[in-house]
Amino acid sequence: MKWMQFFTPAKSLDYDEAESYIAQHPGDQITILDVRQPSEYRQSHIPGATLIPLPTLDERLSELDPEKPTLVY
Amino acid sequence: MLSGKGFKKVFNVSGGIKAWKSKTAIGPQDLGLDLFSGKESCKDVLKVAYSLEQGLREFYVDMEEKAVKFSVKDLFGKLADIEVKHQMSIYLAYTDISGEDVDKQSFEDMVEKKALEGGLSTNEYLGLFKSDLDSEADVISLAMSIEAQALDLYQRVSGKIDDKDSQKIINQIANEEKAHLASLGKLLDSL
Repeated sequence: MKWMQFFTPAKSLDYDEAESYIAQHPGDQITILDVRQPSEYRQSHIPGATLIPLPTLDERLSELDPEKPTLVY
Repeated sequence: MLSGKGFKKVFNVSGGIKAWKSKTAIGPQDLGLDLFSGKESCKDVLKVAYSLEQGLREFYVDMEEKAVKFSVKDLFGKLADIEVKHQMSIYLAYTDISGEDVDKQSFEDMVEKKALEGGLSTNEYLGLFKSDLDSEADVISLAMSIEAQALDLYQRVSGKIDDKDSQKIINQIANEEKAHLASLGKLLDSL
């Protein structure tokens, strides 16, 4: 059992911090991850966000680069 | 989930999309991606990007003609001029990378006209954003929506392109869109 995955906290960024973080990093150096459903993504998403709905995230983690800072919403 | 699986830096965007005040993009994740096969060379990428900027420039010129208020006409004219500059930098990048001695007109003749920048047609944009074309703030907001859409497209395309040099070019164009979006935001704030 890998307990760490249940307990490792992710730091939270509020809107101003997230917006500033994205503005300061070229798009290819960060991942903006949208874990909502496709219908929600279609309506509105942060430009450049990658859609991987939460229910499929575990099996699709290999599509993401773990070395890049990842902003999740 | 991510932190425990080897992801080095994970941030939760608190409040999610509801707290997001900047421009958002719309549409499914594959919107506009049909413009790129993923197998493009650097030269091909630049041709597609040029055609997208051309589509946007024509859109702004069209809006400039339609607008009644002088200040709005002027604003659309300025936005069209910015796209001309984008196109010029893409053309110069093409001549630099290809080493071809091609003049601008010949380059334009090679470029196949695609959808408006961002992967939606002009009418689709106007239908979606329902802007008041007599309001400077609405016009800038419309332009920001389109630029956000373009930034979104270029960043999604970047992940689809195989060739590393082509990917680099797409990323550069995406970063230019990001800067353009930021300058439009400042312009909106200054009204």
